[in-house]
Amino acid sequence: MIRRWFWGLIGCWLACGAAAAQESTFAAVSRQVNQKMVKIFGAGGYRGITAYCTGVLISPEGDILTVYSPTLDSVDLRVHLYDGTRHSAVLVAAEPQLDVALIRIKDREPFKLQPLPHVDLGQLPPPPQVGDWILAFSNSFEIATGDEPVSVQRGVIAAITPFAGRRGIHRAAYQGTAYILDAVTNNPGAQGGLITNRRGEPLALIGKELKNTLTETWVNYAMPLPALASFAAKAMKGEYKPIVREEDKPLPNPGRHGLILVPDVVDRTPPFVESVETGSPAAQAGFQPDDLILFLRAKRPDAVEEEEEQVVTSVKTFREAMNALPPGTAVRCVVRRGSQLLTLEFKLEPAR
Amino acid sequence: MMPRRFPLFNLYQSPFLPPALRRAVLAGLAFSLLWMLSLAPAWLTGQDVDPRIREAEAQRLAAIERVRPAVVAIFARGGGGGGSGVIIDPEGYALTNFHVVQPCGNFMHCGLPNGELYEAVLVGLDPVGDVALIKLMPHQPGAPFPFAPLGDSDQVKVGDWSIAMGNPFLLATDFTPTVTFGIVSGTHRYQYPAGTILEYTDCIQTEASINPGNSGGPLFNLDGQIIGINGRGSFEKRGRVNVGVGYAISINQIKNFMGHLRGGMIVDHATLGAVVKTDEEGKLSVQQILGTVDAYRRGLRDGDELISFAGRPLSSVNQYKNILGIFPKGWRLPLVFRHYDEEKKTTQRVETLVRLAGVHRRDQLEGPGRPPPGRPQPAPRPGQPPSPQPPGPQPQPQPGQPLPAVEPPKDHPIRQWFAAKPGFANFYFNQFERDRVWTGFLKQLGGPMPAGPWKLEGEIVRPIKGPASFQLQSALIEAKWAEAEHRLEPLKPGESLENLSTPTGSGGLLAALYHWQRLLSLGEKGFEAEFHYGGTEPFYPQGAAGSALLCDVLLTEHAGVKCKWYFQPQDQILLGVEVWLEESVDPCEIVFGDYRLKDDRRVPHRWEIRHGDREFGVIVVQSLTWPKS
Repeated sequence: MIRRWFWGLIGCWLACGAAAAQESTFAAVSRQVNQKMVKIFGAGGYRGITAYCTGVLISPEGDILTVYSPTLDSVDLRVHLYDGTRHSAVLVAAEPQLDVALIRIKDREPFKLQPLPHVDLGQLPPPPQVGDWILAFSNSFEIATGDEPVSVQRGVIAAITPFAGRRGIHRAAYQGTAYILDAVTNNPGAQGGLITNRRGEPLALIGKELKNTLTETWVNYAMPLPALASFAAKAMKGEYKPIVREEDKPLPNPGRHGLILVPDVVDRTPPFVESVETGSPAAQAGFQPDDLILFLRAKRPDAVEEEEEQVVTSVKTFREAMNALPPGTAVRCVVRRGSQLLTLEFKLEPAR
Repeated sequence: MMPRRFPLFNLYQSPFLPPALRRAVLAGLAFSLLWMLSLAPAWLTGQDVDPRIREAEAQRLAAIERVRPAVVAIFARGGGGGGSGVIIDPEGYALTNFHVVQPCGNFMHCGLPNGELYEAVLVGLDPVGDVALIKLMPHQPGAPFPFAPLGDSDQVKVGDWSIAMGNPFLLATDFTPTVTFGIVSGTHRYQYPAGTILEYTDCIQTEASINPGNSGGPLFNLDGQIIGINGRGSFEKRGRVNVGVGYAISINQIKNFMGHLRGGMIVDHATLGAVVKTDEEGKLSVQQILGTVDAYRRGLRDGDELISFAGRPLSSVNQYKNILGIFPKGWRLPLVFRHYDEEKKTTQRVETLVRLAGVHRRDQLEGPGRPPPGRPQPAPRPGQPPSPQPPGPQPQPQPGQPLPAVEPPKDHPIRQWFAAKPGFANFYFNQFERDRVWTGFLKQLGGPMPAGPWKLEGEIVRPIKGPASFQLQSALIEAKWAEAEHRLEPLKPGESLENLSTPTGSGGLLAALYHWQRLLSLGEKGFEAEFHYGGTEPFYPQGAAGSALLCDVLLTEHAGVKCKWYFQPQDQILLGVEVWLEESVDPCEIVFGDYRLKDDRRVPHRWEIRHGDREFGVIVVQSLTWPKS
């Protein structure tokens, strides 16, 4: 009995030793993981949206998992693989609820003969625990192009927690469990990068840059791969249908504002106010006929902070936005009246 | 009796235990407490952790302890800013960033972790590479400084550990450096100039925290060797605080510039003089080449494909910039390219040596028009990758402008270490290095040679066989090369380039002999326009096919002709010379060999003469005579 214990202890000690030896250098792990990373170049370069991001190969034929962002909305989406080869890619599927997207290299022929090194989402390591070491691979700041390997950082999983991001340009719509990291992994262009354990086994996808506007602090989070695996599998088979996000659905009883806009006749009818219902929140805020609504900001009654400012491009966008807001939401509009810009605020009432 | 307020330990009063048992339990508790206490230190020192982890930790601590004394906290005199640095030899030479010393002027104060403050003087500058060499002055003359050894940054791999040390936010008023630790995130990184002439090429990216004030400090490997000089970071929208992306100038790049820096020079970076682009297949080709550069004379033309440079294969524009960016202007390096001949419709692979041109004008390097680094950089243009910024010297919290640097008083002893001269960071050190080389050269030569006439007779062994003889008089050189006779009056006004470069095809062998005689007999007095130390440069005794030897260089100019003299670094033997009759025309090159003692003078007995891509000839000297002094 004691002898068995003794050998067990020796075994544990040896296993720890082997792990320690591997831990002493991450060079081999970095080289191996980097072969599965791609540099993605697309649309952007304005308003804080980078024209580049990171992705992970998840099939031998050039399927790439990344974070959904406006960067992918490009007719000229390009990826650079580890070996420096450059390819055109196309957006296959995106899931706003999970904040992930699948893109695919257009010309898959070469990879039938020479399969690409990739992450197999069907064979993931056991989930990590708080305190575990991680490595982060991403093309933050677009440091790498062509055959240059992406940047590697090291950190610790500081927390594993349900995640609630915020709306806006840099919104993180992901709603599941997230890993919160102690290293600054979520830099510009890092989204879609890979978090691995110290052995280089894939754990999670690096999320977006995310700032709490109340505390001015940045959150470095990553989305566990098991949560994204079924999306990826369906998207690769072409079977994926996006989930409609709860908060974007029109509410059965949206809040009442009392603004009547001009008839929506063309594709992008400018959101001019036709009339204002007497005694309505909009009337109290001082809206007048012929005001042109430019921007909109909302703070839902249950929300801690305001949502990011939205540009109101048409009657339709205004209606959609307002139909998703419940009574009690504080709304701030910027309107143009003649040559003046005015900020008008009101609170949505329950519908009558 | 135990007080009641410790109910957990109030066993003594427990009604459930008989007194004897109570005593036994207490004794047991006391014993286990003692036992735990005896174990506690073992647990605290972590003997349950793998001994190899302990060992690695101990090694790391030892490395930090070993090199920490060499880390410098740099302050502008007058307190108007500062940064970090590291001492690299016992004499007190220390590396830092250009943007750290720039606000300091020519003199600065340096604090070492021993708590003492030292005077320091600027030695050399590499403004493009953001490197500066300074020298600390010991309190006792000749007292050695602690220093850190230089490593080999080409051996650094992504994932390796790195240790940064320095003085972030100028925290350390007692000059002890802050140590930050992280893995190497990238190697051979190219970072675009950030609104200035500063360009980080082939640099090391580290996640070890680099913040304002860390600039100029060392990045170490786990052996405590310097692998880089920290100086830049990517910050973007989070203010000037580290976000896990810092950059260090690779130490191997700095090694290439070290000779120039020690020589008090303001050294420029290099260009081929060609614009290159990558095509879809990743081939790197020349888009546009200047007609005046050496690469053009070596046959490089628009459309040619670049294969390798300085022994490294080329596959991307970034890589090309990386490789080019680590060399000083004027260096000669191997280039391999593929040239397509339009007329013959053939492709030819060319392996050659190319002299690199400078990137900047002198006024750009030292002029006031240069935007001061260390200030907030202009935002990158849309679509451009965000330029990383130097964390900068940490300015003191002063409203408005940082304090102006205070010059030391006129009679301050530090001033004897400084000499101003346009084009030099500190001409004192140029004279110092020049004198070192010159003294060594005279020692191995056996003393200055008497003035002419000299008579040199020998035999041509290549490409033809035949006699060669030269008569060197002060302003007249006469020669016989095989059957032909040549004559040169080097100082004759209005002499054409064609006459000066006689014999035809040599690029000016007679002129070269004239300058060689002047160097050996007159020394500095023979070169009215220039007689400087030129740093270190590679020299190729066997030409393009052979290996390079890093040599000390003296630059001379007399009568409008510039010469570059190459000296073997350990003993200052003169290995060769390039004689430039005109800047845009290939020089006459001579490789001196087979040094033998003749009448107390050690002189070369084998001369290999080259010009352009060809060898002009090789002569074996049979006799060299000069008037007895």
